Amino acid sequence: MDHDEAVRQKATEKYLLGELDPELKDQFEEHLFDCQDCALDVRAAAMFVEQTKVVLSEPIVALPERATAPAPSAGWLAWLRPAFAVAVLALLLAVVGYQNFVTYPHLMRAANQPQVGPWASVNVSTRGTTTTVIKARRGEGFGLLVNLPPEEGFASYAADLYNPAQKLEWSGPISTATSDEGRQIYIPGRNRQPGTYALVVRGITTAGESKEISRHSIDLQIQN
Amino acid sequence: MLNWLTLQHLRGRFLELQSFDESYVERLSAGDFRTQEHFVAYFSELIQLKLRSRLHSPQAIEDVRQETFTRVFAALRSGKIRQPDRLGAFVNSMCNNVLLEQYRASSRDSSLEDEEQTDFPALTVDVLGAIAAKQMAEKIREILEEMPERDRRLLREVFLEERDKDEVCRDFGVDRDYLRVLLHRAKQSFKSLYLKNMAARPPGVVAAAKL
Repeated sequence: MDHDEAVRQKATEKYLLGELDPELKDQFEEHLFDCQDCALDVRAAAMFVEQTKVVLSEPIVALPERATAPAPSAGWLAWLRPAFAVAVLALLLAVVGYQNFVTYPHLMRAANQPQVGPWASVNVSTRGTTTTVIKARRGEGFGLLVNLPPEEGFASYAADLYNPAQKLEWSGPISTATSDEGRQIYIPGRNRQPGTYALVVRGITTAGESKEISRHSIDLQIQN
Repeated sequence: MLNWLTLQHLRGRFLELQSFDESYVERLSAGDFRTQEHFVAYFSELIQLKLRSRLHSPQAIEDVRQETFTRVFAALRSGKIRQPDRLGAFVNSMCNNVLLEQYRASSRDSSLEDEEQTDFPALTVDVLGAIAAKQMAEKIREILEEMPERDRRLLREVFLEERDKDEVCRDFGVDRDYLRVLLHRAKQSFKSLYLKNMAARPPGVVAAAKL
């Protein structure tokens, strides 16, 4: 008996139900001992039969009648049980309450109030290797005032911020109504690490080509 | 007497799928402990399933199991296993030989077969351990609860009451194929959890077999 024949004949089920005649039983066992798939199948089925005996030997009331019992079965519906549901709902209520009465108002106040913080001017026209130093408290953000070059023939501008690990942290467009306007880029301070950051300003042509026009180093020093 | 990893020692053993190839047989012959442990655990279960329908005494089953492994390891040491990929068939064949001798011995001494049948702990439960067995039982309970009451009663009559299957099928107005399909579907529903539990359990430490 080969594997395909064993599967086709449902040999596993017949074996466990004692339906194989002696010759077929011997053939299946010979195959079974050599075939890990069939061995696994038989073991799973045998386990099922053994455990079924245990479950079915329990009082009948333990297994609700499928047609008449509306009680939810075990599984994902278990969370609907009253004791568990009450605890979960109470926890959710506590989380929602905290967020609505503490977290959110605090965030709203922070977002709507004027912010005082360090900033530095970044003149795109300036070439050179000078590093701008910014001193900020831990968690405090800082601003970079970008002065774009007048009429360099670019349709638009974009900026890239690289962190001290030289990984690109942020990239975004710098939109201006006129090229002589300054634009501030606010760098949030949460989880901000000290070190040398790089701000790269790029010009975007009408054809969509991007060209780096300046690169500035910003040495962020965290003060406690 | 040889004490090859008794059923108690096999609790929680890992039955990972391994290829029975030349490398496996070499490790087995060389006495690699983990390979021996896997080998005995893997084939013990199959041997027990094989012997259950043939021997009624748990002690007789255990005797045949141990004697089978004794002879297989003797054959390994003397290099008699020439087809590593047929290792399973060799074990089965050896078990058949031992079983035949057991029949002959028991026909001379009927006391073994006349022993009162005692409850024999299912090897599959022992192998997986208590926690995994509990998970399996829960899954099986779930599978049974999803069945129509009639199918549950059918399984009860066949497996728990051990009534004659033809009689049971007649009483329930079904044929034997219905019963097979019922078992097949239930097994398939259960199999994924079974496989997951088998894969999640690491090999355990077992007392070295006494040679």
